[in-house]
Amino acid sequence: MTLTSMRRLILIAVMLVLGAVLTILNPVFLTLGNIMTLFQEASLVGIVAIGFTLVMITAGIDLSIGAVIAVTSMICVNFLSHTPIPAPLFIPVALAFGALVGFVNGTFITRFKLPEFISTLAMKGILAGLALVIAVKDEFGFVQNVYIQDETYLWFGGTVGNVHVVTIAFFLLAFLTQTFMKRTRLGTNIYASGANLTAARLTGINTDKTIVGVYMFSGVCAALASIFISSRMMTAMPELGIGSEMDVIAAVVIGGTPFTGGIGDIWGTVLGAVFLALIKNGILKLNMSPYIQPIVIGGIIIATVIADVWYKDFAEKLVVNAARRKEILEQSRGDVA
Amino acid sequence: MTKRTNADDVLLDCRNIVKSYNGPMVLLGVDFSMKRGEIHALVGENGAGKSTLIKIITGVEPRNSGTIAFDGKEITHDHSKNAAQDLGIAVIYQELSLIHGMTVAQNIFLTKEPKVPGLPLIDIKKMNEKAQALIDKYRFPLKATDYIEKLSIGQRQTVEILKALSGNASLMIMDEPTSSLTATEAALLFEIILKLKADGISVLYISHRMEEVYRLSDRVTVLRDGKKVAVLEKEQIHPAEIIRLMIGRNLSANELGHSMVKKETEPVLEVEGLESEGEFSGITFTLRKGEILGFGGLVGSGRTEVVRAIYGIDRLDGGTIRFLGKPYKPSVKNAIAGGFGFIPEERRLQGIMAPITILGNIGLTNLDTLSRFGFLGGKRELVMAMDGIKLLNIKPAHPDIPVGNLSGGNQQKVVLAKWLIRNLKLLIIDEPTVGIDIGAKDEIYENIERLAREGVSVILVSSDLPELTRLADRIIVLRKGRIVKEFTEGVVTEEMVLRASSGLEEGGAK
Repeated sequence: MTLTSMRRLILIAVMLVLGAVLTILNPVFLTLGNIMTLFQEASLVGIVAIGFTLVMITAGIDLSIGAVIAVTSMICVNFLSHTPIPAPLFIPVALAFGALVGFVNGTFITRFKLPEFISTLAMKGILAGLALVIAVKDEFGFVQNVYIQDETYLWFGGTVGNVHVVTIAFFLLAFLTQTFMKRTRLGTNIYASGANLTAARLTGINTDKTIVGVYMFSGVCAALASIFISSRMMTAMPELGIGSEMDVIAAVVIGGTPFTGGIGDIWGTVLGAVFLALIKNGILKLNMSPYIQPIVIGGIIIATVIADVWYKDFAEKLVVNAARRKEILEQSRGDVA
Repeated sequence: MTKRTNADDVLLDCRNIVKSYNGPMVLLGVDFSMKRGEIHALVGENGAGKSTLIKIITGVEPRNSGTIAFDGKEITHDHSKNAAQDLGIAVIYQELSLIHGMTVAQNIFLTKEPKVPGLPLIDIKKMNEKAQALIDKYRFPLKATDYIEKLSIGQRQTVEILKALSGNASLMIMDEPTSSLTATEAALLFEIILKLKADGISVLYISHRMEEVYRLSDRVTVLRDGKKVAVLEKEQIHPAEIIRLMIGRNLSANELGHSMVKKETEPVLEVEGLESEGEFSGITFTLRKGEILGFGGLVGSGRTEVVRAIYGIDRLDGGTIRFLGKPYKPSVKNAIAGGFGFIPEERRLQGIMAPITILGNIGLTNLDTLSRFGFLGGKRELVMAMDGIKLLNIKPAHPDIPVGNLSGGNQQKVVLAKWLIRNLKLLIIDEPTVGIDIGAKDEIYENIERLAREGVSVILVSSDLPELTRLADRIIVLRKGRIVKEFTEGVVTEEMVLRASSGLEEGGAK
């Protein structure tokens, strides 16, 4: 068994134990409705986290995702309140906006050599302001929260049978992205660029294009999530999604993608998103204040990273010891011969 | 692609290459040519223009003037790296350029993975099979599905070579390929190079190690100060002659075996039964005042681990150390207070802070003597840095240059300077001259010898056998964490040390 799959099994085991404890403390936890809500919650964070995982694999970070969610939702409500254009036509525009933001981020990072952190943090500021500027206003100039009634748009917040549309979209996106990352040349190039940028360049990979592409994907994922979030809430405000970076980073880190780049996979992130939703859901089901959620999530991020460092050391020792043992065995065999 | 068999066929022909970097001329009209299927060594001191010439051949850097013809076709001025690869020119980089987290097969076929017919998906099974076929063809001890990080440095290099082969390279450029290899791995590499030659592939070989150049090359081109000094044919190749051409003068040291010197001075460091679980055990030796004690052995024999433990970086599980007759507890703090200096193995990783100036690097180790009430006095720091620069002849002799901008040899001198301006009693130095040109090597040797004359005791860890035999008064050979041999007197040759290191000596005795 590989170390990654072992880590994953540990994570699943922890979730099962937590689930069991929660069920004992509050039987409502283990009802179909609650589990579906839990997955819906996981999917809303998870869709953004999939894009973010790719960014982390290139050893980057994208702090603008929350603000992309805000602006995208404002774009959508503007279309809904001021134009007769139907949802299937303006949604692609909204997604294209996410791609554009990613393109600008990626260009700053690769062409102008801005650190990822600075580039995307500045972008977050710009977009957060932009969301307020383009928000729908009342006659006094105050931001108006638009109530969304468009049925096609609201379909994204609905369910198919018992399963939420967003949950289906999340797992579909996860499957496609995982296949893309592991089975296509472009995916391999992303891993290579993150693991060793110079080596990737020397091999002939256009690392700049690769990185720009990854940020564009991250922007599209955030824009997509924005549509699901606003249609589920049936409203949108210019602060929507701002600050959600922390949940997204938590999901990716819990999923086992390190900040150092070159490593990571989507199924890990899926697990991370579900784990996070489980914790949040548990806090509610135990009637604890929802205000402690960010405290718990912050704590989990730190604990996971510490555990990962420890786990890596421990695992490396195991590998080294095994290699040493093998060497000694072979040597003694050689001596006998 | 049809391979022509005419041995005199010219594969690469560079004429009158001129290159300057914003002013200073690096190459002043160099002619360089390679035949099909030959092993051609390019030698010269650091700064002679070897790397620049390689960069121009591969198109990483544009040239100012001159022509390059490859395979009979003119190569245009600004061809990209990809174009060089497409032409069949591959570089095996000194800093290995493989992707960790990927398998051997993934690395070999990176950017040219075989696809499932009709789909944009990589055919992983086919990729692994093709990689394994290539590995087996050259009989490398590798599996296509092994992950890079589990391989030794030597194995990684073979993967680099396979990567180049999979791209149908007809010219392979190897820049210092043996600098981080053990003796056995290097021997394997030479076999591979000869196999490549037999397959009609030309190898351009760059090395500071004369014996390799001597052993392998069909021809040698010597560069000095941006000019081609000579092209030697097989029968003209002699190490002494090459060195003379490279540096334009004769070297001071003799190149053969060296006598061990028995020192009768008082003991400085008495080590007994040192042990670290899984690393080494039963390490016992006495180091005397002004003595240079060589630690020989293969990479991984525990040499580095022993000296790191003595310096207090790694934990010890047993054994005692006496320093100047008194019991001594190893810790970095005690080591510095006691006058130990430590120059670690990997200069870039452990020895220098590349973005910081020469002044800053030298000052950092000596903060204790520089600071007054916790503040740094600018003038004394500068005086100290200038002393270090003068003492070791660091070039350029300016304290405000970031160390990362210096050549490898000068970086190593900065590391030495950090310690030499202190009142040292004991200097531990691990692989002091890896990847350093001969001129700078000599200066570093002279400094180590001078220190010993001045009464500093030195522990020298080295895989470079000529270096070890030349400098050491006494040599201890480690193998698998144990001392297997000690050379205390008489003439010791490189071969004797190598035999002990690889366990041949032991086996023979039994």
